[in-house]
Amino acid sequence: MMNYDTIVIGAGITGLMAALGRAERGERVLLLAKGHGTTHWASGCVDLLDAEGDPLAAITRLAAERPEHPYAIVGIDALEQGLARLRAACEAAGYPLVGSATRTLLLPTAVGALRPTALVPATMAAGESRQLADGRPTLIAGLHELRDFFPPVIAANLRAQGLAADSAYLTMPPTERHREFGPMIFARLFEQAEFRAQIGGQLAEHVRRGGYARIGLPGILGLKGAAAAVRDLQARAGALIFEIPTLPTSVPGARIFHALEAALLAAGGRVQIGSLVQRAEGILEHAGHEMGEEHEGGRLVSVYSEAAAREQRHRARRWVLATGGVLGGGLRAEHDGELRETALGLPVRAPNSRGDWFDPRFLAEGGHPIFQAGVAVDAQLRPLDAAGRVVYGNLAVAGGSLAGYDPIREGCLEGVAIATGWRAGAL
Amino acid sequence: MDHIELSLTQSLDHCIKCNICTAACPVAAVTDKFPGPKYVGPQAQRFRMEGQPTPDESVDYCSGCRVCNQVCPTGVKIAELNARARGQMVAEKGLPLRNRLISHSGLVGRLSCGPHAPLVNFGLTFKPARWAIDKLLGIHQNAPLPQASSYSFRAWFKRHQQTVDGGRQTVAQQGERSGAAPSTAHRPPSRRQVVYFHGCATNYYEPRVGKAAVAVLERNGFEVILAKQNCCGLPLISNGDFKGATSAHEANVRKLLPYALKGIPIVGTSTSCTLTLKEEAPEILGMHGDDVQAVAAGTYDIFEFLRDLAERDELDTNFRPIKRSLPYHPPCQYRAHRLGNPAMDVLALVPGLRLNDSHADCCGIAGTYGLKSEKYQIGMDVGAGLFDFVRDSGSDLALCDSETCRWQITHGTGVASKHPIEMLAEAYGVAL
Repeated sequence: MMNYDTIVIGAGITGLMAALGRAERGERVLLLAKGHGTTHWASGCVDLLDAEGDPLAAITRLAAERPEHPYAIVGIDALEQGLARLRAACEAAGYPLVGSATRTLLLPTAVGALRPTALVPATMAAGESRQLADGRPTLIAGLHELRDFFPPVIAANLRAQGLAADSAYLTMPPTERHREFGPMIFARLFEQAEFRAQIGGQLAEHVRRGGYARIGLPGILGLKGAAAAVRDLQARAGALIFEIPTLPTSVPGARIFHALEAALLAAGGRVQIGSLVQRAEGILEHAGHEMGEEHEGGRLVSVYSEAAAREQRHRARRWVLATGGVLGGGLRAEHDGELRETALGLPVRAPNSRGDWFDPRFLAEGGHPIFQAGVAVDAQLRPLDAAGRVVYGNLAVAGGSLAGYDPIREGCLEGVAIATGWRAGAL
Repeated sequence: MDHIELSLTQSLDHCIKCNICTAACPVAAVTDKFPGPKYVGPQAQRFRMEGQPTPDESVDYCSGCRVCNQVCPTGVKIAELNARARGQMVAEKGLPLRNRLISHSGLVGRLSCGPHAPLVNFGLTFKPARWAIDKLLGIHQNAPLPQASSYSFRAWFKRHQQTVDGGRQTVAQQGERSGAAPSTAHRPPSRRQVVYFHGCATNYYEPRVGKAAVAVLERNGFEVILAKQNCCGLPLISNGDFKGATSAHEANVRKLLPYALKGIPIVGTSTSCTLTLKEEAPEILGMHGDDVQAVAAGTYDIFEFLRDLAERDELDTNFRPIKRSLPYHPPCQYRAHRLGNPAMDVLALVPGLRLNDSHADCCGIAGTYGLKSEKYQIGMDVGAGLFDFVRDSGSDLALCDSETCRWQITHGTGVASKHPIEMLAEAYGVAL
């Protein structure tokens, strides 16, 4: 197992999708990452594009208008196939996703705003805005012990948007825990039937008094058995239950991570977390022959990850870089204004000077140029230098490190991760 | 302040409070007494000032497994912050007698090992005695204490050396006398050398692990040098006795440096000893001298060393098939080397042998943590998932590179446990 066919760097959705794709082709795959991915920071929903109506149709239009957008580079097929594989992995983990690529859903956030997304875990489905608008009242409930989740704020903001909503704080059932109640601690408590029974009883009492059709709870209702926990709570409460994403650590995000990791391990992939890739060794040339194979561009030969006392050298035939953007740590702004790709030192396409990073207007319609910075790639996701030549022919770049899109503003973070990750895994 | 010190003290500023560490922490998952790595690490660190009383003592419930470091997406050295915080507490309040005892594994081993070992072992399995030790000292009556060996590994090696060397003086003895690296002029130049760092556990409790290591190294053409050495000091570090740990590491550096300077690799079978020599002692104790770094750079875990050989096509892969599928737990101290899974990589070369990764975070013992009366149950709860994995495998043998983890696995499951190097020796057909 020391010589891998493919090494994927980065353990977010992009890296997991790419690694899964290659492992399912029978390759020996290593997923190498410095830590857990940004799945644990995200909502656990799959955003495709912030567009009214049909995201897929909007993506098709966008791809035609912006040929350098990652969606345009990998095409709609990669997105649809990737979504299907993700759904299957989540299904296999007992955590089905619902929704479709052709209909935008609006779900409440932890401040009660309605946020556009496309696929959502079944545990969140009953909070979709069309259901919230059916005239029957909704209860938003939480616990004082869970910080940063305020049912009164959420309910007030829903009411401000014309949706009938009340709020309540539940009483913490007696547990062995007394002080620390992060989302993951709660998730483990919700896996216990006794804990759910106590919460369910309180919810039933609220439903009896307020006639609520559905109840919004923070997204902490179990980790491995979340779907079953929600079903159980619904039965006890006598109302539909939906989860609302919390501040990090995101339990719904972690569930997606675990579902994809389980699929990867089942396909024979290896996962090495805690190893920061800090440099690469490659041959930089622009065309050649190697072992009878014609190739364009140089070849990435090894990467080195940080380890105790010395670096660890990794070798593979091909590579996928999925380390993310500035948030994920794949890109880094240096003090001198230079934007650097942190793992392999690839060329980064960015505004010429720091002065061009931002539009003078904070809420500029087109966003800020810096947020579209990243690694430019060709149709096979191979990195390009400033002259448009392939840097490493055996490397695909996917996800947040890519240039040409603004994942947060465009509302396409998961969609591009899945489409480009799956494409990198299928090349 | 050098760059390591700087990165340690500044790393708390990289914390974005996302709590991924707390979500992954195996201790916080099972007990409220430990509020989690973020809380006691980068958060509480802001309230720790030299000369000021410690704001919160819950950091003492950190087991030091380093899962937090492993999952942190922003590179905060949480485990090191926690270890230092414990060190500060001990410096303020002193070390309790129990911790003083269990952290001196070398001394305890030396007193237990020998012809009188059966008596010691009987004493430590005698229930009323264990009850009294629990109540008086705070070592849990059910905690897995190792069985002392009736002979030490070093004693065996001396005899072994006589058989292979025909009674020639051992290299280590020469080295001691001259205080410098031994001359190797009289040896055939083709014979490569390694220094074996056995650690306390192999020497006093499990000489069989050292025998297997020597057999594997000799099989690959290495002359094994048994350098003078002492306890790596990790139990002292994890119990907060930084003064004791610093002298232990200084002594080891003195003894090992001559070899490191000659480029003779120092290879160990205890993942926590090798991690201590490579990183824990330098980083946590703030020892960054050239000598310390030379020893760190020259130290390898045995499977790291063997995997490097295999990658250079220098490993003897003439293995006998072993048709077995075995549960394997990569200890947290091994994962902290950040090398992937070297034991699995190397043992995958043995035909028929299949190791199944536990994917478990920690066995719960964390060195001396799970021995303590107030922490024993936490350790058992942390290890529960691993114990299920081992039991469900139906195997009568589990593999794990770290000694205390092996004892804990056997304690938690009743399944015997071995070091993977013993499997490799078996694959070479070596009778131990």
